Amino acid sequence: MSDGKTAGAQDVMVELTERGISIRLPGSHDPVIWPYGALSTSEPLTQHAIDALVTYANQPGATLFVPGPRFARSLATPAPQLTASAERWRSARPWLWATIALIAVAIAISLTDLSPARTMAMMLPDEARQSMGRHMVTAMSQGHRLCETADGRAALDKLTAKLSKAAKTESDFRVVVVDRMLVNAFATPGENIVLTRGLLEKANGVDEIAGVLAHEMGHGIERHPETGFIRAVGLTAAAELFTGGGGTLGSLGVLLLQFSYSREAESEADDHALRILRDAEISAKGLAEFFIRISNKGQLQESDPGNLLSTHPVTQDRLAKALRQGGYKLQPALSAKDWRALKSICGASDKVQVPKSE
Amino acid sequence: MAGNAITDTPDGSTAGRQLELSWLSPIGMIGLSIANFIYRLFTLGIYDFWARTEVRKRLWSAIRLDGEPLVYTGTGKELFLGFIIVFGLVLLPMLLLSAGIILAFGPTSPVAQLFPLALYVFIFLLFGVAIYRAQRYRLLRTSWRGIRGSLDGNSWNYGWTYFWTFLLIPLTLGWIIPWRTTKLQTLITNDAMFGDREFSFKGDAGPLYGPFAMLWFGVFAIYVGASLVFAVAIAALQHTFGLDTLSPGGQLKPEIASIVTIGTLGIVAMAYLLYLLISAWYRARTINHFAKCTHFEGAQFKAKVTGAGLLWIDVTNILILLVGALLLIIPLSIAAVLIVAVANSIDATLLESLLGPDVKSRFAAISVPIAIFIMALSFTLLLPVTQARAMGYFIGHLSIEGPIALERIAQSTADQVSTGEGLAQAFDIDAF
Repeated sequence: MSDGKTAGAQDVMVELTERGISIRLPGSHDPVIWPYGALSTSEPLTQHAIDALVTYANQPGATLFVPGPRFARSLATPAPQLTASAERWRSARPWLWATIALIAVAIAISLTDLSPARTMAMMLPDEARQSMGRHMVTAMSQGHRLCETADGRAALDKLTAKLSKAAKTESDFRVVVVDRMLVNAFATPGENIVLTRGLLEKANGVDEIAGVLAHEMGHGIERHPETGFIRAVGLTAAAELFTGGGGTLGSLGVLLLQFSYSREAESEADDHALRILRDAEISAKGLAEFFIRISNKGQLQESDPGNLLSTHPVTQDRLAKALRQGGYKLQPALSAKDWRALKSICGASDKVQVPKSE
Repeated sequence: MAGNAITDTPDGSTAGRQLELSWLSPIGMIGLSIANFIYRLFTLGIYDFWARTEVRKRLWSAIRLDGEPLVYTGTGKELFLGFIIVFGLVLLPMLLLSAGIILAFGPTSPVAQLFPLALYVFIFLLFGVAIYRAQRYRLLRTSWRGIRGSLDGNSWNYGWTYFWTFLLIPLTLGWIIPWRTTKLQTLITNDAMFGDREFSFKGDAGPLYGPFAMLWFGVFAIYVGASLVFAVAIAALQHTFGLDTLSPGGQLKPEIASIVTIGTLGIVAMAYLLYLLISAWYRARTINHFAKCTHFEGAQFKAKVTGAGLLWIDVTNILILLVGALLLIIPLSIAAVLIVAVANSIDATLLESLLGPDVKSRFAAISVPIAIFIMALSFTLLLPVTQARAMGYFIGHLSIEGPIALERIAQSTADQVSTGEGLAQAFDIDAF
C-alpha cells in the first residue's frame, strides 16, 4: 500500500469485511476501513483479473495494490459496481442518451422543415452574395470568354427584364453567356445566372431559353446557390470535427464549386418558373421540351461543376407539371429578330460546329 | 472471505533500491478493438477520444514497475474537450478564413491559391507544440503509487526548435537529423518529472553520427547498387535479344517491356527492404542511446532493442492491420454483391411500389458513403493490438539500472491541466 504522499510503499494485511476492505498497517492494531461504495479500481474487475489496484475516494492519492487473482476476483461480490459489466453499462449510458437526443433533434428538424443553412443564406448581406456570385461565375467560366455583342446583349436584357418583371422580385438578375459548347445553365449567388453557348445554339426556340432562365431565376429567388455554399462550408466543418481534422481544409474550394440541388429545390425552382412564364405570357412548352430533350439525349455532363440539372434527372412529375401549364394568353418571348441576335451572341453559329475544349 | 497478505520484503531504508520494469501482456485487446470499432462506427468517429482512453488504460496497466501497474487517469471527455477547444480556436477560424478569402478574392485568385500554403506553414509551426503538449498531458495523467508525472517547460520553445531544425534537414542533406532528434529529446527529457523529481538527459548526439553515417552512405549505396543492377540487367537483355528489343516505333516490345517492369519492381522492392533494415537498425541505435542518456535520481535507463526486432514488430503490425481490414471488407463486399444481385432480380416496378420511387438511387446515395467510411475505418480495427505489441516490445527491452529512493519522491506540484492533447489529436500525430 502507498499513501500517495511519496512513491514509497508499505506491506499491509488486507481483509474483505462486511464494512469494507480492512487494511492493517504493520505495528498498528486498529485497521483502516475502506467502504466498498467509495472504492475505484484502475481497471474493471473481471474473472481473468490477476491483481487489483484499489483507490479510495476519501483518501486521494493512496493506492492499495493486491497481487494475485484471489483478492481481485473476490472483491467483485461486495463491490459489484467495480465489475467490467457495470463499467460497460456506465460508459455506454451517455452514448445511448446522446444517440436518442440526436435522433430526436433530427426528427424535429425534418418535421419543422428547419434548415440552418437556408436561414443563414437569407441573412447574408447583398454585397457578400454578389461578390460570391461574381467569383463563382469567373471560376466556372475559366478558360472561356464571355459572349457579348450589342444586339445579343440587348435581346438578352429584354428577355431578362420581361421575366424579372413577371417574377416580381426586388432583385435584378444579371445573365451572362459563356463560350462553352456543353448545354448548361446555372444560378450563382447574388442573382447571377450563367447560360452556355451550347444551350443557346441547341435550343429549338426562344421559349426553351425563357423556360430555363425562369427556372434558374427560381433557384435565385429561393437563394439555393447561397444555401448550397453555406451548407458546403458547414459540411466541411462537420467533417473536420468527425474525422478529427483530417485535413479537408485544402479541398474546401473544390467542394464549394461542386454542390448540387435536392429534388425539393428543383421542384421549387420549377414552380417559380411556371409562375414567371404564366405572368410573362410565355408558353411553358419550351421548358417541357427542354426537359424532354435533356432527358433523352443526356447531353449534360455529370462531372461539370455546378451542373444544376444532371444530378437530378427530370422526373415524369416535373414534365407533367410543365405540360399541364397553359390556358393563358401567349406571346412570343422575343421577336424573331431578337432571338436570332441572342442566338448568335457568341458569333455566327454555323462557323464553329466542333467544340474545341470540351 | 479470506484476507490476502502481501508477501513483499519490507523495505524501510532510504538508500534506494533497484526497480524492476516489466511488461505484463494485456488480455482482451482484440475484444476491446472490436468494441471500440463498433462504437466509433455508430458515433461517426466521435467515440475515438474515449476509445483511445480505453486502450491507454490497458496499455499503461500492462507496464509494471516492481509488479505494480502504471495508471492512466485521463478521460475521453478531456481528450474530446481538448479537441473541441483546438477546433474552435484553430481549425474553425482557419476554415472560416479560407471560406472568407474564397468569397472576397474568388477561388482562382492568387491569394486563395497561396493561402493554403501559408496555412500549412502555420500548422507545421504548431506541430512541435502539439507533440510537446500531448506528451505533457500523458505524463500528467500517468501515475504510479499515486504519484503523478509532469512536463514542466514551454511548449512553444520546443515547437520552435522542432520547426527551424526541420527546415535545415534538406539544407544539411539530412546531417542535422541526429543532432536534431537528440536536441528535441533533451528538451523533453529535462522537462519531465516524476513526482517532485526531475529526469535529466546526459549525453549528446556524438555517438549517433557513426550509425547515421552508415545509414546515409547505406542509402546512397543502395541507390547506386540498384541502379547498377538495373543497368547490367538492361545490358544483358539487349545482349540476349540484340536490336530485337525495340519494335519499329523505337518502343520496347510488349513482352520485353513486361520483363523490364517486373525486374524494375523487383529491384525497387529489394532496395526498399534493405532500406527498411538499415533504417530500423539506426532507429534501434537511437532508442538505445537515448535510454542510456536518460537519468532519474540515482538510476539510468538501459534499452536493448535491435533493428531486426523493430522491423519484425513493424512488418507484422502492418500485416495484422491488413488482416483486420480484410476481415471487415471481405464480408462487406459479399453482402454488397448479394444485395445488388437480389435487387436486380426483383422487378423494378414492384420494388418501387414497395419502397417508393427511385429506391435504388436513394439506397446507393446512403450506402456508398457508409461503405467508404467503414473501409477507411477498417484499417484501424486491430490498431490497439498493434499498439500493445509495439509498446510491449519496447518495455520488454527497457530496464532501469541503479538505486532509486522511492520514499524521497513526493507528489508532483504541477498544475493539472483540465483538457488534453487537442492539437496532437487534430494533427493526428500521437502514437498511442
